[in-house]
Amino acid sequence: MNMKKKRLVAAALSAAMLASLTACGGSTGETSQAAADASSGGAAEGETTKMTLILRGGSYGDVLKASLPEFEAEHNVEIEVLDMSFDDLHTGIALDAVNEVGTYDLCMVDGSWMAEFTTNGVLANLSDMGYSFDEDIIPNTTEICKVGEDIYLAPYFGNVTVMLYNKANVEAAGYQPEDIQTLDDMLAVAQAAKASGVNGFAYRGDTGDNIVSDFLPILLACGGWVVDDNNQPTVNTQEFKDAMNYYMELIGTGAAMSKDDVTAAVDNGSATLAIGWPGWYVPSADSAADYMVSPGMRSEGAESFNTSEYGTWTIGIPANAPHPDLALELLQYVMDPEVQLASIANGGVPCRYSCLQNEEILAEYPHLSIVCDALDQGVYRPAIEEWTDFTNILGTEMGNIMAGVKTVDEGLADAQTQLEELMQQ
Amino acid sequence: MKEKAMIGKGNGRFIFGMTAPTMLILLIMTVYPVIFTIVYSFTDYNYLKGIHPFIALENYVKLFENVYFRQAVFNTVLFTVLAVVSEVFLGLLLALYVRSLKKRQKLLRVLILLPYLLPAVTVALIWRMMLSPNYGIANQLLQTIGLPVFNWFRDPNTAFGTILVIDIWQNTPFAFLLLYACLQGVPDSQYEAAAIDGAGYFQSFWHVTLPNITGGLALCAMLRTIDTFRLFEKVNILTGGGPANTTSTITQYMYTYGIKTLDFGFASACAIVMTVFVLILSAVYIKRAVQS
Repeated sequence: MNMKKKRLVAAALSAAMLASLTACGGSTGETSQAAADASSGGAAEGETTKMTLILRGGSYGDVLKASLPEFEAEHNVEIEVLDMSFDDLHTGIALDAVNEVGTYDLCMVDGSWMAEFTTNGVLANLSDMGYSFDEDIIPNTTEICKVGEDIYLAPYFGNVTVMLYNKANVEAAGYQPEDIQTLDDMLAVAQAAKASGVNGFAYRGDTGDNIVSDFLPILLACGGWVVDDNNQPTVNTQEFKDAMNYYMELIGTGAAMSKDDVTAAVDNGSATLAIGWPGWYVPSADSAADYMVSPGMRSEGAESFNTSEYGTWTIGIPANAPHPDLALELLQYVMDPEVQLASIANGGVPCRYSCLQNEEILAEYPHLSIVCDALDQGVYRPAIEEWTDFTNILGTEMGNIMAGVKTVDEGLADAQTQLEELMQQ
Repeated sequence: MKEKAMIGKGNGRFIFGMTAPTMLILLIMTVYPVIFTIVYSFTDYNYLKGIHPFIALENYVKLFENVYFRQAVFNTVLFTVLAVVSEVFLGLLLALYVRSLKKRQKLLRVLILLPYLLPAVTVALIWRMMLSPNYGIANQLLQTIGLPVFNWFRDPNTAFGTILVIDIWQNTPFAFLLLYACLQGVPDSQYEAAAIDGAGYFQSFWHVTLPNITGGLALCAMLRTIDTFRLFEKVNILTGGGPANTTSTITQYMYTYGIKTLDFGFASACAIVMTVFVLILSAVYIKRAVQS
């Protein structure tokens, strides 16, 4: 090859590479224009608009997905849904938030992310967009959705902690479900089950968030909480230590498992009790397991507390949504009482009285009355920006205690020190 | 002389022209992110807040003072050493065995490679199902022979070992493949000469096979070290770093305390420390490669 040809080849290769790199980026302007067009009433007339939703994978997202075809047909839109795990959903929404025009039109948000997302302008103000709550929505479930009077989220899936139990195992322990009123009763059932050769209490012992979530109903029943009124950590208190000591006894009757194993174990009878969420399991009259509100009293005659911890899956519109107007229509559509009522057949748990107190529905899904009560009186996890870090630290120290690496006193003292440092940053 | 210089100059330009695209891609895809990771590691960069004030070495100090991080480093180094030694050793045994076969070499090669072809996430999920205390085949076998159901991933005494076994199961085929290829390059004449000299199997292995595949063993160990040091998916899916941090690795730590919380400055510091560890562990091989 002579020199000229070599130069030509080199120049052609470099040009090709530069062209491909240029093609990879630099399309923001076009995207913005497309987004602007779509937002103001869809794509060009007759064209199908494409929307993208980022949802919690599993039953929570599946319920919402099931209601989409009708909306798609009515509005000439094509909706792509991304199913994410808990952590990936959080990261996915956050990573997209810094773009001028985002990818997602509607997102599912855990209540515990609310403070972080609203402080950093991730979510659109739904009040400004014209959305308001109707009186049918359970008022307590809307608390986490607002900052002051401004609405940022709508409560879509009424997730609240409940106590899962295996009917036969509870009966074999000499109890009826309604007799389990105190933590002492709960422990007695678990110990009886353990004595008979099955696990008493099954729990998730993996990530910090799961460890903390499973424990909070126990802590509430003991009169403790993770922060005080000023959001300062209170994990080295007597109430917390009592709850932790009790929890150690309770988990001693069973085993740590993954979420799927917890549900399967309670259902197949290899475990008797567990703290879980309605989205995990849909009981029926014939099912082997059912759920009830977790006991609110430490022991007979003690003060009773609300122990239902909210984990409501809410929906919101990212502040940089490509089609905000359509997204609002979609949000209003999936929050519509009729659509929500229909979602129950797909495993949905609406945060609406008209759905959860509907006689026809209760005849088929009696457990929803328990969920309704729990949603009416639930307790929110602290609405603090640092909650993810908070649960990492607390969960890790609780894990150390549960594994016997640290004593209750050592673990909680270490957690308190680290959490105080975290909250001071 | 002048003509030679002209040709040399022309060749230089041609070489530059041919390598420029690769160099540019490397600069964009590797050098640029590395530089930014280093820069971010000296800042308090939170992704959502969008600000990155310079905080000098604070992230590094915080990192090394953190007891969870120190445990993650210990776990990672221990895991890497155990996994790499086991994988290379087992890979070599398998390679020697398959090479010694007169028939069915191809079939065995494919069968042995299968675990390595699976994505780490799939491997983790398969093993999670197999070791499930409720429906896992492993525990059902234990029950069949009258042993109690065991909770492999939730017991602090077994979680680390279980993930180690899974990693060895998946990655031994890689060592096998590489060492098997190396064994193909050992001249038969050397074995014949050794046989004439009266060398037995082990003497042949020690004096003929091993010296011929030393480079391959070193390369295999280095590649496995780099890969094992980044262990993440299996830990994240199977244990989340628990119980009691016994399976926490540097990447898992980085994910939990940096990525999940969007503290990218802290995560960057963690990534830089991990890179330094890998470089130290791979230094011997890299030095040899550069010298040769």
